[in-house]
Amino acid sequence: MESIFQFFFKYRSFVFQRGEIIFSLSPTVVLAILVGIGALTFLTYSRVRGKSTRRDRIILSLMRVGIVAALVFSLARPVLVLSTSVPQKNFIGILLDDSRSMQIADGDGSRGNAVTETFASDGSLMGALSDRFLIRFFRFSSETQRMEGTAGLEFDGPRTSLPDALDRARQELSGVPLAGLVMVSDGADNSGVQLSDAIVALEASSVPVFSVGVGREEFERDIALRRVDTPRSVLKGASLVVDLTIAQRGYRGQTVELFVEDSDRIISQQEVELPPDGEAARVRVHLTAEEVGPRLFKFRVPALSGELVTQNNEQEALVIVEDRKERILYFEGEPRFEVGFLRRAVADDENLQLVVLQRTAEDKFLRLDVDGEDELAAGFPSTREELFSYRSLVLGSVEASFFTHDQLQMIAEFVGQRGGGLLLLGGPRAFAEGGYIGTPLEAVMPVVMEAPVEGRPPLSLDVALSPAGLTNAVTQLGATEEESGERWTALPNVTTWNHISRIKPGAVELITATAEGLSEPQTVLAHQRYGRGKVVVFTPQDSWLWKMNPDVPVDDPTHETFWRQMLRWLVSYVPDQLNISTERDRVARSEGVDLTASVEDDRFLGVNNSHVVAEVVDPAGGISELEMEWAVERDGEYRAGFAPATNGVYEIRVNSFSDGERTGSDTTYVQVAELDTEFYDAEMKAAPLRRMAEETGGRFYTIDDLSTLADDITFSESGTTVIEERDLWNMPIIFFAVVLLLGTEWGYRRVRGLA
Amino acid sequence: MNFRPLKGAFTTSVVIAGSLAGSPADKQPGSSEPTSPVSDRLAPLAQGDEGSSRFHFTRAVYSDVLRQGRSWFVDFPEADRHFLIGLERLTAIDPFERENPVRLDDPALRNFPFLYAVEVGYMALTEPEVEGLRGYLLAGGFLVVDDFWGSREWANFEFQIKRVLPEFAITELPIDHPLMSSFYEIEEVRQVPGFGRGVRGFPTWERDGYVPHLRGIFDDDGRLVVLINWNTDLGDAWEHADMAEYPLNYSTYAYRLGINTIIYALTH
Repeated sequence: MESIFQFFFKYRSFVFQRGEIIFSLSPTVVLAILVGIGALTFLTYSRVRGKSTRRDRIILSLMRVGIVAALVFSLARPVLVLSTSVPQKNFIGILLDDSRSMQIADGDGSRGNAVTETFASDGSLMGALSDRFLIRFFRFSSETQRMEGTAGLEFDGPRTSLPDALDRARQELSGVPLAGLVMVSDGADNSGVQLSDAIVALEASSVPVFSVGVGREEFERDIALRRVDTPRSVLKGASLVVDLTIAQRGYRGQTVELFVEDSDRIISQQEVELPPDGEAARVRVHLTAEEVGPRLFKFRVPALSGELVTQNNEQEALVIVEDRKERILYFEGEPRFEVGFLRRAVADDENLQLVVLQRTAEDKFLRLDVDGEDELAAGFPSTREELFSYRSLVLGSVEASFFTHDQLQMIAEFVGQRGGGLLLLGGPRAFAEGGYIGTPLEAVMPVVMEAPVEGRPPLSLDVALSPAGLTNAVTQLGATEEESGERWTALPNVTTWNHISRIKPGAVELITATAEGLSEPQTVLAHQRYGRGKVVVFTPQDSWLWKMNPDVPVDDPTHETFWRQMLRWLVSYVPDQLNISTERDRVARSEGVDLTASVEDDRFLGVNNSHVVAEVVDPAGGISELEMEWAVERDGEYRAGFAPATNGVYEIRVNSFSDGERTGSDTTYVQVAELDTEFYDAEMKAAPLRRMAEETGGRFYTIDDLSTLADDITFSESGTTVIEERDLWNMPIIFFAVVLLLGTEWGYRRVRGLA
Repeated sequence: MNFRPLKGAFTTSVVIAGSLAGSPADKQPGSSEPTSPVSDRLAPLAQGDEGSSRFHFTRAVYSDVLRQGRSWFVDFPEADRHFLIGLERLTAIDPFERENPVRLDDPALRNFPFLYAVEVGYMALTEPEVEGLRGYLLAGGFLVVDDFWGSREWANFEFQIKRVLPEFAITELPIDHPLMSSFYEIEEVRQVPGFGRGVRGFPTWERDGYVPHLRGIFDDDGRLVVLINWNTDLGDAWEHADMAEYPLNYSTYAYRLGINTIIYALTH
């Protein structure tokens, strides 16, 4: 198509896009001539009398005007004004993708081979480019580096960052006349960095990008484990629900085995039916985290015949299994069986300490599972320091008026500021019935409270999972979602005094119930984020019926399983006073590990004058110390980084000190490995490559057709350029137009007998 | 003990003599067939009209020997009602204010995790009752037995409860057990006499039950499943707490131990 255009118009369309058409005669004069000749033609033809009809005369007039117009266009001497680079006065930067995805052989050879051959110094392309420009090569993956020629390419970069590469090349060549950048890549960016900022900077510098796509946009046959969602850390013995996304092309309807391995030991195996081409299947795997420490779970589907890329058939996930005692405060306003059964349900859980403050009478409390004589000796905590020492809080059937306003505000801050988990249980003194409307806790709740009605009997709730509950880990009672849903539906009814049927925007309802005599479903379990923490509402007051009811077998674990999962969920992701985190839990050796620690006091306010030290334990057991520095822009945030030397799991132990005394400690892990990140979603991504070209005034190519690249860059407006005028009066299209019109006019006269 | 149908008609010794003549202890271990199954007339359905939403002081209705199925009925319903009044006044519990007798073989029993049984020295459970009580206790229920005296009645109760929970041993409850401090601080196990002996002041025991005991049955998880008040009669003390002639100190103790027991049952 491009060659046909060039045949008729003398130049390629891209040249017209880059230039501007002007005439030696002014457009007004050209228009005046055309109007004059047109009018004269119509006048002449209109006076002709003979056997021609009015229609004949109009058609002939139009054709004659067309012929004259073409001639006038040529006589007006149109020229295409272009800005062209001065040969050997300008630089171009050639950015070559050096990431591992370039090893994929989805063409005649690997993508990398195609690049090295195309950009070989003795190749025709480089000849054409070097005739016109001074060339600077860059190789990029997660980092961008200058290089001489293509000899430095290794195609083993762990990640691809197109924006970083463009930024680095632009900055490095900012001091020289730069005609443009040539970006050669498969476009499979996995850095997570936005491309927009890099493009805006190039636009501001008027540097066009000529992007070259390498590889196929679609694999014919491939299976890929695209996503594995696991929690970052869990308590020992926790039931893990892992969601995987398996995409495929070319194997529709086939069944494959999904293996889960822990330290090369298969711990789970299940069959998966592959979805239609281009679609993804969601698979749920249930695991139990028994062994403490960093666990590396590998999820794997064996390669099928004909697969182009097999590295994307497996994914690894690092899960930190912690063996710590999570302290939860349960304050119950009236003695009731829910307390005893709940305590019993989690009694065997060595990782949960349910500290119970039971009001047994007016101003009389029973303390259970406290750590010492002093704990809760004065009743419910009256200071933030005391309350914030717990990781979660359960409020039972206790009226709002029991608390002072400051205590209610403190509970709200426990969630919003401290990041604790709050569980609100139903009861005759809870929610609206307990006078919570208008209190600071109303804003915290994920549900909308309705004004209580005096004398209303309790509701009998027939519970069922909501769609969100089917997939949530806390409500899983079976091996599959279906099994879990059926189990919930089969559970005996429970009761509640609290009529709650609406959740707030942003809240998620996990269990609903139908209640006799009420048309709208009632909320049983709902949650929402509030500030740094989460709030959960559970409206029944007698979940112990799920243990005691005669329809429930004596050894049925439903009640224990639910409450254990519930309380573990409540304490999950609750921050400590010192928290250490890494940007990624798996990095390549060539990548640095960035550490961020947040240090807070016992009221969970950021501390900026702490002494924070990280101990990095390498896989061989060697220990190195890092001083972490306060990041000025955020209170209580400290940062440091290190470059791992070997592959393996690194342990990072962080301690914070104030006045020489240790105020906190935390540990995390990071895996250093040869990452296969590049092989996921590794088809050539034309969209970002097109975008960077189109928005900067460049052009997108595929590596198979770069014949015009050197010429196209020549028309860059960037760098050292000259203005060039190219005649358009002799475009073949004008000659063909005149000949065509004359021939048509003659033919028309012959047919109509007017010749 | 205060067995209403016999009250005033026989002396305690006659009662004992009469009881011992056909005592289930004599029939062990060859038979546990009740001579007096619970009749429909004496086995009302559960009274709790609010089911599991409130605390119910539930009384076990069971079969017995030689007592026309009325052993469970002793002190009923005054003891229950009087105790509930105290429970509501002294604690934060908002109980169902009426008595709540339930048969052991009634599935509705599982809606009430607290169960009180008296005169278990005459207990002679049917197989459905054994199964019902076993399922109840293993599912999480809590049984308190009271008002039985002496070694012979103990032997019968032990025989019966072993049919229900053969795998668990009966042990003495230590004085520092959490139940003894769940609400009131109770520092000793005292003998609470039945009405007649209580009014007379001495002796406080019946038959050869000279020393009061507080014993328990714990399951594999260490949960107290059955609390045994032996050689003592809390029920009479509750029932006659409003009578001037019954010594206040016994009623006070009985209320305290009863409340402690319920608070413990609710929270453990």
